[in-house]
Amino acid sequence: MIGVYVHIPYCIRKCRYCDFCSIPIDETAGRYRSAVLKEIALSADKYPGERVKSVFFGGGTPTILPAEDLCAILDAIRTAFPVEPDAEISIECNPKTIGFDGLKRLRSAGFNRLSIGLQATQDRLLRRIGRVHTYEEFLATYQAARDAGFTNINVDLMHGLPGQGQDDYLDAIRAVASLEPTHISAYSLILEEGTPLYDDVTHGHETLPDEDAVADMEDAGMDLLEALGYHRYEVSNFAKSGYECRHNLVYWHNEPYLGLGAAAHSSMIEDGFWVRFSNESSIPAYFKKLEKDRLPRAERILINTFEQMFESVMLGLRLTKGVDRKAFFDRYGCDVIETYKEAYDKNERYGFWDHSDPACLRLTRAGMDRLDAVLRDFRERRWIDFLRR
Amino acid sequence: MNFDPNLIRNFSIIAHIDHGKSTLADRMMELTDTVAKRDMEEQLLDSMDIERERGITIKASAVRMFYHHTDGKTYMFNLIDTPGHVDFNYEVSRALAACEGAVLVVDATQGIEAQTLANVYLAVDNGLEVLPVVNKVDLPSAEPERVIHEIEDVIGIPAEDAPCISAKTGQNVGDVLARIVDTIPAPTGDPDAPLKALIFDCFYDNYKGALSYVRVFDGTVKTGTRIRSMATGNEFDVTEVGVFAPSWKPVDSLTAGEVGYIAASIKSVAETKVGDTITEAGRPTKEALPGYKQANSMVFCGVYPADGAHYDDLKEALDKLKLNDASLSYEHETSAALGYGFRCGFLGLLHMEIITERLEREFDLDLVTTAPSVVYHVYTLDGRKLVIDNPTNLPNAAEIDYMEEPIVNATIMTPSEYVGTIMELCQNNRGTFVDMQYIEADRVNLHYVLPLNEIIYDFFDSLKSRSRGYASFDYELSGYARSELVRLDFLLNGEMCDALSTIVHKDRAYAKGRAVAEKLKDVIPRQQFEIPVQAAIGSKIIARETVKAVRKDVLAKCYGGDITRKKKLLEKQKEGKKRMRQVGSVSVPSDAFMSVLRING
Repeated sequence: MIGVYVHIPYCIRKCRYCDFCSIPIDETAGRYRSAVLKEIALSADKYPGERVKSVFFGGGTPTILPAEDLCAILDAIRTAFPVEPDAEISIECNPKTIGFDGLKRLRSAGFNRLSIGLQATQDRLLRRIGRVHTYEEFLATYQAARDAGFTNINVDLMHGLPGQGQDDYLDAIRAVASLEPTHISAYSLILEEGTPLYDDVTHGHETLPDEDAVADMEDAGMDLLEALGYHRYEVSNFAKSGYECRHNLVYWHNEPYLGLGAAAHSSMIEDGFWVRFSNESSIPAYFKKLEKDRLPRAERILINTFEQMFESVMLGLRLTKGVDRKAFFDRYGCDVIETYKEAYDKNERYGFWDHSDPACLRLTRAGMDRLDAVLRDFRERRWIDFLRR
Repeated sequence: MNFDPNLIRNFSIIAHIDHGKSTLADRMMELTDTVAKRDMEEQLLDSMDIERERGITIKASAVRMFYHHTDGKTYMFNLIDTPGHVDFNYEVSRALAACEGAVLVVDATQGIEAQTLANVYLAVDNGLEVLPVVNKVDLPSAEPERVIHEIEDVIGIPAEDAPCISAKTGQNVGDVLARIVDTIPAPTGDPDAPLKALIFDCFYDNYKGALSYVRVFDGTVKTGTRIRSMATGNEFDVTEVGVFAPSWKPVDSLTAGEVGYIAASIKSVAETKVGDTITEAGRPTKEALPGYKQANSMVFCGVYPADGAHYDDLKEALDKLKLNDASLSYEHETSAALGYGFRCGFLGLLHMEIITERLEREFDLDLVTTAPSVVYHVYTLDGRKLVIDNPTNLPNAAEIDYMEEPIVNATIMTPSEYVGTIMELCQNNRGTFVDMQYIEADRVNLHYVLPLNEIIYDFFDSLKSRSRGYASFDYELSGYARSELVRLDFLLNGEMCDALSTIVHKDRAYAKGRAVAEKLKDVIPRQQFEIPVQAAIGSKIIARETVKAVRKDVLAKCYGGDITRKKKLLEKQKEGKKRMRQVGSVSVPSDAFMSVLRING
């Protein structure tokens, strides 16, 4: 069973912090739907009969395309692959890009989960990071989604924004929680090279809250979310019980997924080999390959067992549940703790392991705060030593 | 048939940095057709990249020109270029000793600077005739009249008919050539007397070996002559003699009054000592020329490869630089923090910067350098005298009777409005005021005695910033003085980091310890645990800062399916860690070891 991801690389305009693949909507958007349909048809030939347990439309801002395009793409996926009857079918949207009618249409076509990008509830903060909407406009979109029949809704929030104080962040969490979405993603702002925000910060035109302030915000936000009934199941994801995002769990369980659309990434099993590939990230290049009836691949690499193992740890440790030791053993034929003994022991000394469930390799909250450092230790394990064992 | 000595003029050009020395030399070569105009590369004499970039001369060099004078005769000019920095004072004095005269170039917009003054005194001490020239008269802010008065008042030489020139445009440069013939005396010397030649510089060539750049005072030297170094007693057979025209050009012989080079299959410039006298082995001259000194390193620092695996590359690079730079010294040393490296000795801070820059640039090495140190004399209670150039080697305080540190006489010239702030700077750096002279109503010459270790870090930079760039500075080592010194150590997470230790005056230790600890707190990145940063004298902790433990080391961002990117990010983070030095359990960035110096103590 696989997850399917569809990338829609258009936005009204790009936010100042964003380094994802997206461009302001242009005339290519009219041809995007037919290109993706072509890619779906070619993929169906390559992976016939592959069962699908989740579909996720992400971006960019998927809802910037007409609802009929989005529905047509979903229909094509259903035609090409057997999509499970209870599959989770998510779509991301940003306020102002879709109204009640469009949402209603999506809901009827089978989309059953909506993820709304909000980031903050203070308009001054939204402006400062280049969001195109206000808090009021978000509320309107949220209400329209409810009216259209969406019951499973995620709202994205961010902390560490320029000008944001802890109170701003906690107010945003309270305000959003009062709407009772099923899921809240709480990301920290990552300053990425090449973004306008990055340039502003490096030239001193903009300042971000300092490291400690961001960490305080994050910690306080986590406590508040838990108190409001949203349990943390991944580094930055919180949900009401039973509403964890199944599509994202595909990633974190290191299961196969097929990415469609420009710049989409995939991990699939081909002829018994685990391969990872990415699509062309420029829209003209993506179109061009499809016009020639070729899959729009930009890069394709084989992932050997050793790398797969590391990726299973890297992704699994993001989950509060951790890495399932039995699943790991079944997949790789070795125990995760024994295989990474040195890294395990080192972090055991720091008290980073949560021993509450011996069936899982699980980090404590303190350990999760330093996940990258823990992973760097796991990365020290060399393939050659693994082979020699 | 050698050139008539009466038609030879040997001279140097003395000028402050940027006052136009190299430009003037270029114009002279152009006017005398020494180099065709199309072959002129800007500032021909400064041939190293670093020299050109910094606009300073590091090594001396020489060039021979032929000038057709208005009297109808052709004169041979030997221009000996001198290094332009206080670190190379000895080299300057030897280059001047090879000349009968000096052209003093003063910038018409700036006036005399401390460095110029020091070199003019060196020239006068060497009995040279000084020909003043006022440069940059084409600039709108030029004040040639004021500068001429300044030359007369400060240096005390007549300057009313000094040529007012623009080396840049070539204006009146011809006058300078004519005045050189009239003002600067011809060399005297007996071509038939036993050979007596002064080495004023040396150069290593892959094919010819170490070349001695010489001024012949008496006698003649030619291919086959067996020569002897009067400083070392070593003897060599001359394989080639030549002149600078401007590149090396072999000639039959060099005779009294002439300037040129001698090649004798000498393996290293360490054997051709600047200031040494060369004579014939079979018919030695009675007395060596005066002024020879063994070059002594004044500033030392540890130089380590950033990646320990490149130790051999660093050694090879140092060996190569040493071939051409006798004043560079180095020996193997081991640091607990930095591993295998070298203790290097330099003539001064500029010399140190140049060498480390060349190592990084020409040999593509990544280096970690430790705080520079001067040489201390340590007298122990059991009567021994130790010479310490590495703070780590300082014995326990309980074993030390007393210590001495090197002291310099410093001359600072400044517009009078900055006197207050500069005196404050000198006091802050343990300076002792000697005297102050008004050169003019608004320019002052300050004399201070300062400990060398106070001026090797950032004294010069502070001086420049306090005087908005107008003050100039010169110093010479005057000897050693007793001083209350202590070793200041730094502990990271309780472990001493030897590469950070410095020797400081005890009254300054607290302030310095606090400042460096604070700085370290900023440059050491947060790690998995809290890191106490402590400054200590012996077992006594005098300052403490804390590098807080990292709070979040995780990307709380959704990368969706882009696992490859996430992995690359981890690899990048790991690379970043590798560039750090492990001091016990603490990772320290390579540049931390130097950055702690940039402290205004």
